Amino acid sequence: MMVEQAQPILQTRKNRLPGLVSWLTTVDHKRIGLLYLYSAFFFFILGGIEALLMRIQLALPENKFLSPDTYNQVFTMHGTTMIFLVVMPMATGFGNYLVPLMIGARDMAFPKLNSLSFWTFLFGGAFMYSSFLLGGAPNNGWFSYAPLTEKLYSPTHGMEFWSMGILLLGFATTIGSINFIVTIIQLRAPGMSLLKMPLFVWTSFVTSFLAVFSLPSLTTAVLLLLLDRQLGAHFYNVTEGGNALLWQHLFWFFGHPEVYILILPAMGIVSMVIPTFSGKPLFGYSAVVFSAIAIGFLGFTVWAHHMFATGMPDTALLFFSADSFLIGVPTGVKIFAWLGTMWRGKLRFTVPMLFSIGFISMFLIGGLDGIHLAVVPVDWQITDSYYVVAHLHYVLFGGAIFGLFSGVYYWFPKMSGRRLSESIGKRHFWLMFIGMNMVFMPMHILGILGMPRRIYTYSSGAGWDIWNFVETIGAGIIAVSFLIFLINYVVTIRSVPTHEADPWDGTTLEWMIPSPPPVYNFAEIPSVRSLRPLWDEKHPELADWRDDA
Amino acid sequence: MSSVTHPQPMSSISTGRLALFVTLGTESVFFATLLVAYAALRGQVNWDIPHTLSRLTIPLVNTGILLISAMMVWWSSRAIRRGQASSLRSGLLVSVLLGLCFVAGQIIEFNQAGLRIDDQAFGGVFFTLIGFHALHMLAGVFFLGLNLVRANLGDFSVDRHEAVELGSGFWYYVTAVWVVLFLALYIL
Repeated sequence: MMVEQAQPILQTRKNRLPGLVSWLTTVDHKRIGLLYLYSAFFFFILGGIEALLMRIQLALPENKFLSPDTYNQVFTMHGTTMIFLVVMPMATGFGNYLVPLMIGARDMAFPKLNSLSFWTFLFGGAFMYSSFLLGGAPNNGWFSYAPLTEKLYSPTHGMEFWSMGILLLGFATTIGSINFIVTIIQLRAPGMSLLKMPLFVWTSFVTSFLAVFSLPSLTTAVLLLLLDRQLGAHFYNVTEGGNALLWQHLFWFFGHPEVYILILPAMGIVSMVIPTFSGKPLFGYSAVVFSAIAIGFLGFTVWAHHMFATGMPDTALLFFSADSFLIGVPTGVKIFAWLGTMWRGKLRFTVPMLFSIGFISMFLIGGLDGIHLAVVPVDWQITDSYYVVAHLHYVLFGGAIFGLFSGVYYWFPKMSGRRLSESIGKRHFWLMFIGMNMVFMPMHILGILGMPRRIYTYSSGAGWDIWNFVETIGAGIIAVSFLIFLINYVVTIRSVPTHEADPWDGTTLEWMIPSPPPVYNFAEIPSVRSLRPLWDEKHPELADWRDDA
Repeated sequence: MSSVTHPQPMSSISTGRLALFVTLGTESVFFATLLVAYAALRGQVNWDIPHTLSRLTIPLVNTGILLISAMMVWWSSRAIRRGQASSLRSGLLVSVLLGLCFVAGQIIEFNQAGLRIDDQAFGGVFFTLIGFHALHMLAGVFFLGLNLVRANLGDFSVDRHEAVELGSGFWYYVTAVWVVLFLALYIL
């Protein structure tokens, strides 16, 4: 082997600094990935507590648990947290940890930039949360519609915290995404052509492009809002020649691609997990890749379907409605590919597999809700009702969060050298699955019954009481399931590591190296000849590249 | 063995150049959305600034300054490709000074245009477009200035001058953005 020869070169990057300082100063993609994941889990707890507060407030009619103003702050921070401080950084954390491993690289292209990205993100999150102590959190909902956000209607500094926090988080995501794009284009191992990249790498790639080309629109929107509030400009002030709808257009031109920024990494994870536990290569790999690209492009063209109720011309309504239906096609391609992968496979129902199957089923429901909302007359009836809340949680909780948990269980052995307990993990999965359906399924009914989103309380007798009560119990079940996950984490992390390099019989490069991987990842940069390099190595006579030859 | 320490890259573009292209891509969306805001607001107010040559004096002079600076930047990076370090230094110095002149001109222009950010929506958008472009100019001045310092330290040679090329690329970009803004704000 050439490994011995390479050793002196490999050991040049040492961690000279001990303990905590080494984490604060690290530029290693694996450590930065873990920092992202831990921070995101911390914010997940905060966002989860906010969700529980809302559910307690709504459990009974005419409840006085939270004041209306506190309720507004809590739902605003819940949405902002879950989107910007949980799902996005968790996906970035997985990306940081896994993309270099999956493409056979030693690190990201710009390790220091990577570190800057993480600390900016963490500061942005802490900055936003400091608003609770400094005069009141933002309270206009996560999409902060103008002119409600103007100084006249939102006199506290909450909007300043929100706007500047968003600028910081946007900056962090932008430089992180540039780093991902450059890393994926430049640092792939020899032989790994674009169509030999693992699907998670592909979805990280597409997600990064979405972030780079959609976030500036949010930046513009927020900068103009700050100029309105701080320097007296009138961008969104209609009486002075401004345009309040401009905010909605700028926001949703970011906001819709953002939906795919949130879901595509989870789709990438599921596309790695399902083949492993089906004992088969991914069915229709290139179709899945092209459907991810198609979703990326279409995602930029449907933003106004969030604005059907703003009085658009009929032609615009038609276009955005039809275009939104179209997104169902590449999404359907993916679902068929996952089912096709499982079809007649040697299925192993491990916890990561359960979460991936949970993802497919829950995301399917969320996707179908989305089709309902794309029908303009239906949307006019149920927009801004709990139906929308049901839809977005089926795709973002049932979808993104289930997918991310699938990734946590799947790659935990790689990151820590230990497998999370399967028996505790199954309890976690089933409670979370039951809890989430108890919370979000009744929201469909409430939406059709006319319960508006974001109201802080309601009168008895509208037929809403029972469903709200059921939802609150479901929220409690989700909270218990998360506690079970934390127990699983603590129990596992205290156990003796087994250091299995390849606990799941995987097929991609990250399973070739020790668990946890050494600082330099690969002693010898691997050569890649197919989509499943590790399969090729384990089964030379059945290697995938023989099919191509 | 060479494949272990220096694996053959799967792409032929340089890493810095690629990062710059993606960064300029995200910048372009930023300026595009500002222009969308401009377009959306322009129809709503009566824009009474006369389109006379006297109104265009400063903008035209500034455009000229910027185009000359871009040519100087192009000339300086061509110089280092040919190994002429002294031409690189003088070219960068002139570019930095011209860039600062441009920003100063923009400040004068904004004061003379008689617009205020809190006038009406249009004052705000004019201020914002020119202001954010000026900030990018200052970033470009910083970038070129850094290259100037490094050139004086002898950091660049025929084989090693990527930062010069990237700085030039950024400068061409802010020049091109200015041309678009000039057309949008003054001509159209």
